[in-house]
Amino acid sequence: MNETDLTGPILFCGVLGASLLLAGKVQFGYVYGTSAIGCLGIHALLNLMSSSGVSYVCVASILGYCLLPMVILSSCAIFFSLQGTFGTVLALVIIGWCSLSASKMVTSALAMEGQQLLIAYPCALLYGLFALLTVF
Amino acid sequence: MAYHSGYGAHGSKHRARAAPDPPPLFDDTSGGYSSQPGGYPAPGADVAFNVNHLIGDPMANMAMTYGSSIAFHGKDMVHKELHRFVSVNKLKYFFAVDTAYVAKKLGLLVFPYTHQNWEVQYSRDVPLPPRQDLNAPDLYIPTMAFITYVLLAGMALGIQKRFSPEVLGLCASTALVWVVMEVLALLLGVYLATVRSDLSTFHLLAYSGYKYVGMILSVLTGLLFGSDGYYVALAWTSSALMYFILQLSPLFQVRSLRTAALGPDSMGVPAPRQHLQLYLTLGAAAFQPLMIYWLTFHLVR
Repeated sequence: MNETDLTGPILFCGVLGASLLLAGKVQFGYVYGTSAIGCLGIHALLNLMSSSGVSYVCVASILGYCLLPMVILSSCAIFFSLQGTFGTVLALVIIGWCSLSASKMVTSALAMEGQQLLIAYPCALLYGLFALLTVF
Repeated sequence: MAYHSGYGAHGSKHRARAAPDPPPLFDDTSGGYSSQPGGYPAPGADVAFNVNHLIGDPMANMAMTYGSSIAFHGKDMVHKELHRFVSVNKLKYFFAVDTAYVAKKLGLLVFPYTHQNWEVQYSRDVPLPPRQDLNAPDLYIPTMAFITYVLLAGMALGIQKRFSPEVLGLCASTALVWVVMEVLALLLGVYLATVRSDLSTFHLLAYSGYKYVGMILSVLTGLLFGSDGYYVALAWTSSALMYFILQLSPLFQVRSLRTAALGPDSMGVPAPRQHLQLYLTLGAAAFQPLMIYWLTFHLVR
């Protein structure tokens, strides 16, 4: 994980905000704030849980790239309301997809064995926050 | 001058094949750019020219190095201040968990009645980390449970059409304030009542954070099964948590509840202090269901 870049993540945040705008919710501030603070929290947690530390840019880059499925969810929100059974199921599937891929990348980058589900859970919480913004 | 030579170097459209004789100002930067792993697609002469002009400009270079040194200094300062207040190594002990430990501990919090051995194991005077000892406290579960509780509150309010991000912040701050007050009260009690202080602040934070697991279960059951389910889950998790805390009473130096009520023990701890320890443990245990009810009943109407 030596090549860490933030272009993709920032682009995805912008696209997420834009698709939320198209769905009628002007929540750019919340998107950026949530992503920054969430990245900070996960960075602190990973530094405490792993034997070798990580840099903030690395964490932000991983989390940002795994945000892409959430953009799919918010584009769905443009066409139909997600406040129903199907919307909930879709949101849960997308959250699981995002967090499993993020935790897989993190555990392979930091060689933390036996902790993939433990990393997946805070990532799922973070993406759950984004899903909350998207659905409600 | 600088701009003119830069412009001249971009007569050819490809960045990778640098100009045959680049002026000295552009030597390093164009080489550095072409070796980026992602590869920089050359979209057109104008865009390439602008960025290269910025990178090659000595003022921009100086500004970038100045900025990065400021950022480095800032990070250093933050680390130093943080290390003054929080010993990161001690904190790392509480986060050395793995999935098996977390699963077993959650099971223990919900059903502690069959667990036999509650002592924390030591190895050469150092307590074993949570990975190797089920009875060791950890801070991963309380932290995750707290954040899950806040999110669950947001979801519960959203289902009842009462959601807005401000309310979420309000919920989070309320819960945080209660945690801080409880830890301070426990710290005061421990300071007054015990002789040796094996219990650091993080231990108390861990033990008082375990009630959030009970809160989450109660709210979930309340959302799924209505008011009755909520009260049943509340009763179950409260009694489990009270049993759990009472099993921890050796940490508060109460020998056993029966002998503590009889008189001073062989270690010469005077009776009033023992009574204080007993009241502290009982008070901590009785406080849990109150807190669980207080922080969740408004979510399950």
